[in-house]
Amino acid sequence: MSQVIYKLDNIYRRILTNINIEIHKGDRVMLFGPSGSGKSTLLHLFNRLDDPEQGSIFYNGKNINEQDITTLRKNVGLVLQQPYLFPETVKDNLMYGPKLFNDWNPDEARTLLEYVNLPESYLDKPVDELSGGEKQRVSLARTLANKPEILLLDEPTSALDDQNIEQIEQDLINLIQHNDLTVIMVTHNLEQAKRLGNRGIYLENGKIVEEGLLPDMLDRPETEALKNFTTNH
Amino acid sequence: MERDVSNFSLLVLIVFVMIPFTISYFYQLGLKKDILWSSIRGAIQLFLIGLILTYLFNLNPFIGIPIMLSVMITIATFHARKKGKELPNVFITILGGLIVIEVFVLALWLGFDMVSFTPEEIIPMSGMVIGNSMVAMGLSLERMKSEFSTNRGKILAALSLGATPKQASHLSVRRTLNAALIPNIDQLKTIGLVQLPGMMTGLILGGVEPIVAIKYQLVISISIFSSVSVSAIIVSLVMYRFFYNERMQIVDLEEV
Repeated sequence: MSQVIYKLDNIYRRILTNINIEIHKGDRVMLFGPSGSGKSTLLHLFNRLDDPEQGSIFYNGKNINEQDITTLRKNVGLVLQQPYLFPETVKDNLMYGPKLFNDWNPDEARTLLEYVNLPESYLDKPVDELSGGEKQRVSLARTLANKPEILLLDEPTSALDDQNIEQIEQDLINLIQHNDLTVIMVTHNLEQAKRLGNRGIYLENGKIVEEGLLPDMLDRPETEALKNFTTNH
Repeated sequence: MERDVSNFSLLVLIVFVMIPFTISYFYQLGLKKDILWSSIRGAIQLFLIGLILTYLFNLNPFIGIPIMLSVMITIATFHARKKGKELPNVFITILGGLIVIEVFVLALWLGFDMVSFTPEEIIPMSGMVIGNSMVAMGLSLERMKSEFSTNRGKILAALSLGATPKQASHLSVRRTLNAALIPNIDQLKTIGLVQLPGMMTGLILGGVEPIVAIKYQLVISISIFSSVSVSAIIVSLVMYRFFYNERMQIVDLEEV
């Protein structure tokens, strides 16, 4: 078994109750469950946009309370549900994170755009001129610019059409193959979870109801709750 | 000033009040009570302040001026803080800001002999500075809350990439400052062209030479311009911190 990179120990926060999770290096963990089950709250805990009321979180074996928050956020990158791009250009967005840490190398801009399948000519394009799918891909590249060890994705394709969903998924598959990335992703789309993930965690009312390997877990759910969820999705 | 407005003439002002009152009546604007109440209240307030000023003007300036300035700053603070009651430390920030501004302006006026240390000059001119700063602080607070609400997603994105609260707030702070400073700059650009400023008008009506009135107006206009700018800067640069907790997480205003 590979190294435990992230560990949540007996976490309570808002709806989340007694959450225990171990994330191993290279895992592609898919979080799914009904709306309001606490998936996004859980994801925000990994990036410390939120903190638990009770319980401990360990990143690389060290309690996250003892780590520098900005460095942790750089290493545990989050892509939000909406792209929320900054003004003005694509390039401004790509260099935002690295510039915070004085780590911007202009030569990397092209590679970042290649990851998300956008041409180099997009670098100077104002973000207002991008389509919804392109914005989300720039948002993904912006997070990747920080060279995170863990990539958190909060339903990045939920607002996109089928063609854009396919494109982003392909970007993610390429990324995972070419980078040593650990991925934790919230998704409503169970087929997407099977395509992208190797582990699944099913949440309901803030509790982990079932977890296992993908795609088996979704093809042969053990609990009634997950059976019902898979039938309805 | 030798000329006076007779009490009869003041009574005739009721005609001016009756115009908006009648409009409200015919168009059923529901403002009749507000119009009457604000007119009566305004008149009473002005007469009372007239009595207080007469009393203060006869006191030793070193007693009268500090008393009046303290009262003005306190009232202005209570008024401006209404715009940001949800935020912590808003009262102390505004109070501190107004004191700093007033001390700075007084130092400049007195240090360069622009204004003499008499209640007749210091109190009305300080009133204008404090009043305008109060409005600027209130507007900046409102604008800042709206910017943080509108840009919440962008702020979250910035924080998630490793930005500090200061870096994540940069856009909101910049927009707040812009919103506060641009009307101020525009006002200064058109001064005397669109309307004759209040202080100058008052001095000319009081029989002062227009060129002397203009000099005083310049002193007050530039002082107000600078105070309004400093007010917006104080609110923006101090208050943004209260939108975050010590763990660099954005907090809901309801939770503050």
